[in-house]
Amino acid sequence: MIWVSWRQHRSQAIACLGVLAALTVYAILLGTSMRTAFSHDHLAACVARSQGSSCPDAVQAFTDEFGSAVNIAFWASLLIAPGLLGVLIGAPLIASELEYGTWRLAWSQTVPRIRWLAVKLALVTGGLVVLGAAMTAVITWYRAPMDQLTGHFQHNIYDFEGLVLTAYILCAFGFAVLAGLLVRRSIPAMIVAFIPWLVIRLVVEFLLRPHFLAPVTLRQSCAGCRGAFVGNGISAIPPATGHIGDWVFSGAQQGNQLVTYYQPADRFWTFQFIEAGLFVALTAAALGATIWLLHRRPA
Amino acid sequence: MTQDDAGGGAPALRAERLGRRYGHLWGLRDCTLELPAGAIAALVGPNGAGKTTLLEMIIGLIEPTEGEVSVFGVTSRAQVAARLARVGYVAQDHPLYRDFSVADMFRLGRALNPSWDQGLAQARMDALGIPLKRKVKTLSGGQRAQVSLTVALAKRAPLLVLDEPVSSLDPVARLEFMREVMASVVGTGLTVIIASHVVSELERLCDWLIVLTGGRVQIAGPADDLLAAHRLLTVPRATPDAELPGLPVHRTDSDRHSTVLVRADRARLAAMRRPEWLADPVGFEQLVMAYLQRRPETAAADDDSLAVARPGPAATEVTR
Repeated sequence: MIWVSWRQHRSQAIACLGVLAALTVYAILLGTSMRTAFSHDHLAACVARSQGSSCPDAVQAFTDEFGSAVNIAFWASLLIAPGLLGVLIGAPLIASELEYGTWRLAWSQTVPRIRWLAVKLALVTGGLVVLGAAMTAVITWYRAPMDQLTGHFQHNIYDFEGLVLTAYILCAFGFAVLAGLLVRRSIPAMIVAFIPWLVIRLVVEFLLRPHFLAPVTLRQSCAGCRGAFVGNGISAIPPATGHIGDWVFSGAQQGNQLVTYYQPADRFWTFQFIEAGLFVALTAAALGATIWLLHRRPA
Repeated sequence: MTQDDAGGGAPALRAERLGRRYGHLWGLRDCTLELPAGAIAALVGPNGAGKTTLLEMIIGLIEPTEGEVSVFGVTSRAQVAARLARVGYVAQDHPLYRDFSVADMFRLGRALNPSWDQGLAQARMDALGIPLKRKVKTLSGGQRAQVSLTVALAKRAPLLVLDEPVSSLDPVARLEFMREVMASVVGTGLTVIIASHVVSELERLCDWLIVLTGGRVQIAGPADDLLAAHRLLTVPRATPDAELPGLPVHRTDSDRHSTVLVRADRARLAAMRRPEWLADPVGFEQLVMAYLQRRPETAAADDDSLAVARPGPAATEVTR
């Protein structure tokens, strides 16, 4: 059964390795020049000394040079990439057997179809976890200099580091496997799976994630707040809390105090676990439903 | 008859009031059958008669809506693997993985079947001149059918089920395929069910006949018994059905005479015979065609002397 799974998913595995290789080449090229510029400008020392506030020009120059490459390339195009990857691999897993009639062959052998499915799902899921982890590692490595200035809570960083990238891929995969069983055709199943994945993904990103934990309230006397301006969001370096990586929601002047709500930078991993847990739970639900349906209601 | 042939073991196939509903349409209903081990059965019916539904329930690809089916005594849904191990299946259109080589298909067979006979698979390909390295998608339809048959045979299951194995093949490939089936089956003790709407190919091979129309079994039994139990009568056209010595299966009226295929045992036929009647024996194809032309709603059988599926009490209320 392991050989069968490998034989059927071999070309997908090779394609995934190709994607990973392309990403790695891109990351090495951009990452190397970013590292060179970062050390040339002595930014590490500046960050350590003052969280970047003592060298605004150097910070500005660095983010001007690399910010757009990082942001456009990843935030815009790669937002949907994990979903595409997941549905491309997940949808045909059952749907292609139904489309081409090979389910009659596959499920009439001595190995019962539930075991056939379980082994397949286990192996492909394992492959996707490895792929997701590798992509995360590559992206995390190459972005490291930029992360020292921005922390890890920005959308285009948070979504590709830690655990969530892998969880997004798995979730799209799980949805697509289930959709493949229900829709019985690969391409429609991809669409049927991708849309809810994207909706959930955006809802979690913009509506739920800021509230995973109650934000911390910071009260500063207004003498130290340099006028009424507060770096809103997470793009100011350093943010209003004075500490790189804090995710600042809002600040307001109350009397002679500046009140800031924010998620501290050290909550990154907690947030990652919460969000990845959510998507892994959705994956498990979709795959569990698939197994149950295939067991109960034969195709 | 079953116990004799199976040597006291369970019949190869037993279906009891088997039915399968799709939405509110019944694909198959009230199917009661028993096939002894070693029988080679032709399952004949027009397209949409429920042949595939019956076969898929035998294999366990779909579950019955009502009734039950057992293969060599294995019934339970819990014994899925045991049942799957007992059936080799060639599905309609011979599904194979297109980008696999023939060797890959065999490796898949070996991986998914503990009883896989690799020697048999390779020997068959050698004999047919199909190279193992060839990709499935480069094979002709006839070769694909042969690979499918080989995958099913090499599973070494005691029941072989072929669903419309030749309907997509050209005449030469049909002939070759049926020749292969016959060569690999006769004398092996294998029980075979071949579903087809083409009757002519089955006559030489099959010793059992099951006719299915409109989701119902019309007749089922050993071919010789069935043939012996039917006569083609030529009677004056005015003769009403009630005066015939048995069930009129199919009647063709011409100007003066009617040709009626009747089901009647020999004694009754002799007793009721009138001098002006002509009684001829029936051929396999003739018999099948007569039953295929019956309206599916007509009651299947009413003669106890035949091994025929009879509608139970519930059947009458279902037909309307």
